[in-house]
This record gives sequence, structure tokens and C-alpha cells, in this order.
Amino acid sequence: MTANQVSSPLSRFRREPAGNGASVAAGDHVGEVIESETTKFTAQARELNGAPSFGCLVQVDGEPVTLGLVFNASTQSMEANRRPVAYGKTVEELRREQPQIFELLRTEFTALVVGYIQGGIAAHMIPPQPAPIHGFVQRCSDAAIRQFTAGDDFVRTILGAAGVPTDELLIATLKQAIAAHSGAGDYLVRIGKELSRLLSDDYDRLHSLIRRLSQ
Amino acid sequence: MLNLLAVKDQVDRMVRDRRVVQGDYESRLALALEELERQSVDWPGLGAKVDVSRTSWLLPAICESPTRTYPRPPRPHQISIAATDGSQIFPDRHEVAACFLINIGYVLLHYGTGEKPLMNSIPSLYYGDAQEDWEGHRIYPNRDSVGLRRTTMEFTEVAELAVAAQQEGHQVVALADGTLILWSLEGKPQELRELVLEAHLRAFEQLRRNRIPVAGYISKSGGRDLTNALRLGLCPLEAPDCDRCPWREGAIEPGDAELPCGAIGGIDDGILLRQSLTVGQRTPAFASRSKILEAYGDHHVWFFYVHVGREIARVEVPQWVAEDDQLLDLVHACACDQAEKGNGYPVALSEAHEQAIVRGRDRERFYALVEESLVRGDLGAGLSTKSASKRTAVV
Repeated sequence: MTANQVSSPLSRFRREPAGNGASVAAGDHVGEVIESETTKFTAQARELNGAPSFGCLVQVDGEPVTLGLVFNASTQSMEANRRPVAYGKTVEELRREQPQIFELLRTEFTALVVGYIQGGIAAHMIPPQPAPIHGFVQRCSDAAIRQFTAGDDFVRTILGAAGVPTDELLIATLKQAIAAHSGAGDYLVRIGKELSRLLSDDYDRLHSLIRRLSQ
Repeated sequence: MLNLLAVKDQVDRMVRDRRVVQGDYESRLALALEELERQSVDWPGLGAKVDVSRTSWLLPAICESPTRTYPRPPRPHQISIAATDGSQIFPDRHEVAACFLINIGYVLLHYGTGEKPLMNSIPSLYYGDAQEDWEGHRIYPNRDSVGLRRTTMEFTEVAELAVAAQQEGHQVVALADGTLILWSLEGKPQELRELVLEAHLRAFEQLRRNRIPVAGYISKSGGRDLTNALRLGLCPLEAPDCDRCPWREGAIEPGDAELPCGAIGGIDDGILLRQSLTVGQRTPAFASRSKILEAYGDHHVWFFYVHVGREIARVEVPQWVAEDDQLLDLVHACACDQAEKGNGYPVALSEAHEQAIVRGRDRERFYALVEESLVRGDLGAGLSTKSASKRTAVV
């Protein structure tokens, strides 16, 4: 594509870029909120197949900043009456010979609201208002992940959430947290203890979680 | 409300009549194929006969054997296809505001590079004095003129799009949906005809200057240029003049089986060529002899038929494409490739259509937006009583 969209011959035929120029040019947002409610929000991914990983901690710009955990991603046709069909070609071949396909698909992801940041402090509570529609979604930095997962309130939040693949989400989030804490052994031990307490009445489930966490 | 029960008998009659016509269809088709073979032997003679005849049916200029075929050429590895389509919201004096809207869909597909396509639509709203102003001329905005304005914009915009793509380094072919021949100008006011024609010719010239081939793609054309030529060949007279047909007083239509030229009635070019072309092949290009083309000058429209698998498509090109083997091959290759990719119809054209289309719901939402904006702007938003009654029909 052309480097300078403003003055190229084709620029008058192109769609205008979404959002304000500066933040789009920075290119660090991973999605834009298109549906929002108290306990979750859905965003359209900026790139096709570019949803953040399952279990990724994300934040939505705003005041306060909403924190969410990605628990679902989907890619589908933008129009209900036009469905993808099998072509029997690789993605590269399709990009070269059926390029319009990719313009008609979009990737969305949904995140469970797990907290918010106000005045620089992360709170493990549902924010007063849902995330703003059209808010930009960004992956949280390692520092933000460390801060959010320092305590164990988030474990309880995930275990208590409805409509999410709970155990898988917990495992994915914990793996992310462990990585952000530089694989610190004492962190894993502390979380293990909390899990044991919360799942004391379901040994099999606890055992499965711990085993998969260690894989 | 449409009373389906009342129309059913008429539909049944229509189907019965069609079955009667279908009866000797096979023999007429066989005769048409025989004539095609026979007359291709002395095709210069047929061409000369076309020149001296006077018929009301459309005949092509024949400068090559009609049975000659051209195989599908390879498509360049890298090529871009530019296409546009248009839709409109017609002026409606019963609606909240006097205005009309033309929506143009743009598609630029790049092949062989993996480059992202351009797919967009741009609406233009015409209100106030602008409704009647078309390039300095006052043209009353009714359905006819707005429709013509739309088709003109589709063509001028595909030329602009193609030129812009070329300026960014792409090799481009421009595709238009439908005929390049402005049949619809027949019977229109002179000023409107000139406006539409001049805009088209300017766009043709722009494409020619940049050597960008443009083609009109027509699906299920029902064209009869070639079969009409065969019918002419069936006429025993050397210089037929349908106005003075000795077999029929006055009447011109070639459908009557009693006339010598009626023996292959009901067969159009597509049906005929389906029997003789193989997939990918095209016929020679023939110059159309439509009267309106007298005003086209160097951009006189030629046509050929091509077997794209699902059907025989009619492709029209300006003379400067028809006479340039390289450009003609490029159009042939792209027409086949596009139809293949689009499951029988050029994908660029169907995507342009999807970009352009303004559905009933879109129209409602547009007027709702206008109404809301008028109210917010403290302006009256009154419907006519006719429109209001359509919206809230009661018992």
C-alpha cells in the first residue's frame, strides 16, 4: 500500500482511517470496542485474525481504564447473508487471487471485565460504567499484569464468572501472570495455595488445574 | 396487494405458450448452427450483404469469419481490475426533504501481489439548486435523469479509478457492468443526450490516452446481432429491405416462421454459441452497428462473445481495444479469470455491486437521518399525507 495516504492518486477513493490520525499511526491498539456491558465487552480486532491471545489481560482507554480478560475470539463474514466457503487454496494463494475475501471478514474478541484502573491504582471490582464504545483496546504491559495479578482476587473473579470457559481461562491467565512475574517460584506457590483454598471441595478439579498449569 | 390467485391463470397460459414455442426449438437451433457454418465460408459476402440491407434488426459489421475462435490467453501474473457500480435514492416529493442521492461503489482488486484491495462506496447528496445543475445545464431531476446521471458517474468514475491505479504503478483493466452502448438515450431530450454522451466520450478518451482497456460485461445479454446476420443470409433477396418484404406486407418482426428469415426465430447469440464455443474461447470481435454509435467517433463499440463456463457472456470494448491485439487479449483473459473467480460472474463487478447497493432499509434509515437532522436543526420535517399514510396504514 502507499506510504502516504493523504496525497496518493487513489486516496480519494479510499475509506477514511478510523479514529484520530495520531493513535492509528501509533498502531499499538489491538481492537476497538463495538459492544459493551457491565461484565464484558466485545471489540473488533484491528487486524484480521489479530485478536489478543485467549486469557490475555487487556485494557480499554477511558476514565477509568477498564481491565478485561479475553475469553472468546471469532472470525466471520461481516454480512449475515455472505458466508465463507471452502476454496481449496492456501491463505497465500487466496491473498493473491481472491483478495476481496479478506476485506469481508472480521475478527472480534470478547473480554470479561475483571477490574479497572483509576488514579494509577488497579481495583479488582466491576467499574462504575461499562467500557466506552469505540474505545481502543490495548494489551496490558507486563508491569500492569504484575500489578493486577499481585494479589489473588482475580482468581476468585474468574472462578465466579458466568458464561466463560472458567478453568481454561484461569490457566491461561495464570500462565500469563507467571511469565510476567518472571516465572518466580514463590508466586506460583502462593497462587497454588489460594487455588487449594478456593477449590478445597473439588480435589479433582484442583488437581487438573495444577497439572495443566505446570505443563 | 398482489392477488396471486388472480394472476395464476395468466402465468399458466404463459407457460403453456412457451412450451409450444419450445417445441421445434431443437430443429431451429440445428438450422441456425448449419447456417453459421455455411455462411462462414463466404463471410465477406455476408458482410457485404449487411452493408446493403435495410432491416430494423441490429446487424453486426462482419470483418472476420464468424466461426473463427480464439483460445483463452494467459492472464498476466500481476494485474489489477477496476470496477464501479452505482445505486440511487430517487427524488421523492412525498418524503421529508427534496433531494436525491447517488451511491457509487468502487472496487480495485490486485492479483498476483497479495496487496489489499480497495473496496469502498461514496455517496453524493444533491439538494437545493444542485439537484437541477448538471455541469452547468439545468436538468429536471426525475427518475430518468437521475438514473442516467448515475450510469454516467459509474463510467466516469471507473475511468478515474483506473487512471489513479495506473499512476500508482499498477497495470489495470477497467470493467463496466452492462453495455457500453447508450441505448437508453433513445428518445431523451437533446440536452440530456449530449451531456451523457460527452461525459462518456471524455472518460473513453481518458482511458485511451493512458492505454487502459475498458470493457462492458453483459451476462445473459439476449443479443441477436449474429443470429440476425444469419437470418439476413437466409433471405433470398440480394439486398433485403424489410420495409418492402414481398413475403409480408409492412411488418418487420423476424419472428414469423412463414418468412424465409423466420426459420431460426427464437434463437439468440448466446444459445447459438453455446453449441459452438468451448470454455474459454471467444468469437471474433464485431463492430456494432447501433445508430447511437455514430456519435462515438474513435470509441465506436465492438463486441465479442466468450464462453465463461456458466454462460456465454457478451463483452463490449471500444474500437481502440478491439483493434489492439494485446489489449483485446488482456480483456479476454481477464473476463474469463474474473468470471471463474466469481463463480460465473466477474467478482470485481459483483463486489462493486455489493458496495453500491442501497437497499430498502438503507433508504429508510437515510430518510430517518434526514428527518432527525432537520428536527435537530430546528427545521420543519413534514411528510406529505400520502407518505404518512403509507407509513401507518390502518384498518
